[in-house]
Amino acid sequence: MSEENWIEVGSTDSIEEEDLIRFDHQDKTFCVYRLIDGFYATDGMCTHEAVHLEDGLVMDDEIECPMHQGIFNIKSGEALSPPACEDLKTYPVKVDNDKIFIKID
Amino acid sequence: MKNNIIILGGGQAGIYAAREIRQNDSESNIKILGEENLLPYERPPLSKDFLLDKKNEEDLYFYSDEVLKKENIDFEYVSITKVDFENKKLFTKNDEVYFYDSLLISTGSENKKLSLDNNLINDVYYLRNLEEAKTIKDKVLNKNKITIIGGGFIGLEIASSLSQLQKKVTVIEIGDQLMGRIIPKQIADLVQNIHLEHGNEIILNKQIDKIIKKDDMYEILLNDNSLIETDFLIAGIGSTPSVKLFENTNLKLNNGITTNQFCETSIKDVYAAGDVSNFYHPLYERNIRLESYQHAQNHGICAGKNIAGVKTEYTSIPWMWSDQFNLNLQLTGICDDYDEIIERGNDINNGVIYFFLKNKIIRGACGLGIAGKVGRDIRITSKLTEKNTIVDKQILSDQNLKLNKLIQK
Ligand SMILES: Cc1cc2nc3c(=O)[nH]c(=O)nc-3n(C[C@H](O)[C@H](O)[C@H](O)COP(=O)(O)OP(=O)(O)OC[C@H]3O[C@@H](n4cnc5c(N)ncnc54)[C@H](O)[C@@H]3O)c2cc1C
Ligand code: FES
Repeated sequence: MSEENWIEVGSTDSIEEEDLIRFDHQDKTFCVYRLIDGFYATDGMCTHEAVHLEDGLVMDDEIECPMHQGIFNIKSGEALSPPACEDLKTYPVKVDNDKIFIKID
Repeated sequence: MKNNIIILGGGQAGIYAAREIRQNDSESNIKILGEENLLPYERPPLSKDFLLDKKNEEDLYFYSDEVLKKENIDFEYVSITKVDFENKKLFTKNDEVYFYDSLLISTGSENKKLSLDNNLINDVYYLRNLEEAKTIKDKVLNKNKITIIGGGFIGLEIASSLSQLQKKVTVIEIGDQLMGRIIPKQIADLVQNIHLEHGNEIILNKQIDKIIKKDDMYEILLNDNSLIETDFLIAGIGSTPSVKLFENTNLKLNNGITTNQFCETSIKDVYAAGDVSNFYHPLYERNIRLESYQHAQNHGICAGKNIAGVKTEYTSIPWMWSDQFNLNLQLTGICDDYDEIIERGNDINNGVIYFFLKNKIIRGACGLGIAGKVGRDIRITSKLTEKNTIVDKQILSDQNLKLNKLIQK
């Protein structure tokens, strides 16, 4: 595992519990979530149409798309409710010294 | 017990009901009868991404043939032309008979048609199904000036798509605002502005007196004597529940098939779901008929449970969306019964929402914003309506205050 793939997102207190922030890196965009049991990351754009999930609602382990209410599991990326049917890509997250890092491949 | 379950109408409500029945009942025969020679598909893209070539036919189907086979759900392409509720039989026009023990009616809705002279009947196009979407897509290719009669959701979505295909679009609406009175005037005006900004012409408060066919084009004469020239006509003037089949039967009809909160109709063992049903909503204590994607799915699932013997009340909060240009409009709850309106935001880039309250309780909301901007707050509103919550108006009206807090335990 090469170290340089871990990208710093920000400090842990930049995300409220049961919420998310958008994180852009180079030409890519992500959502980083703070759930009750830790931090998670997924692709930023919904797999249904081109809308960012940053404006979606986080409920338990799920993110609901703000456009048509497609639902994804944040931890697995699984598409749980139509019109979303394609899974969302997820990324490993680690916390080091109160800083959040995501591993982008 | 092994039953014969028939689902009449192979659309969204029908397919979700079928799969839900199978989840709860591995034995019964489940047969869907659908008159379109297609597996159930999503209609929302027909007026949007399908016209724009961003989605094609294969993207629209809810489930593949394999899924239905695996779940042992039979799908037959037939049109039912007669029902005999007393003897539990359905007939095709060739007198083929289908027997049922339980029946779900999910025949959807159909477009209202303009009353036109005979020589024009084939000149006005409508959009409800995939075939019609394909026809419109094909026919507009070599047309330039398109007129859309009716400024409702579907008409405006088509107007948005055709404008993006570089067509010169005119929308004629009989009312004094777009999308009918259910949408707050302020939001209707914002939508109108976006159409105008993209070069569409919007004509309000005007009625068509006459359409005159001239070679390859038409002249539309309006009631103020103005004249519009156009190459192609599309009408989207609303829809009615598909109930013709039941008009001379005992089935209770009132703006659709009257159903209770368990999707049961006035006839035993006959259920209805989706666009065709005018259902009792326990929260609002009245009947409602909805034409929405989310409702068709959830109502179908609820009917499926009840048919399979899992008694389940339908309490979903109404929700629908419309996408036009880069705007996403959403409507939740009921927005026609209120004594107070609260506004949140005034810029579509951040989203604009109108909340409808009655006795201080949120009953519904309508929002408009650049794609996705109103979704979270509208969703939170649905949750608040569900719980009959009295909410601090300050939080509702101040966009800097997040609504999330209102639903967190
Ligand atoms: C162009 C368009 C755009 C839309 N956009 C949106 C949107 O953006 N957002 C939203 O929330 N909703 C939207 N909707 C609404 C949504 O698609 C419908 O509410 C939903 O499809 C209703 O599902 P249903 O199963 O009740 O009916 P349908 O999906 O209409 O299915 C009914 C089926 O029954 C068949 N049938 C009828 N009579 C018979 C018979 N006698 N024998 C056999 N078969 C029969 C019909 O042919 C049809 O296939 C849109 C609808 C249209 C038409
Ligand atoms: S864009 Fe996310 S569900 Fe449609």
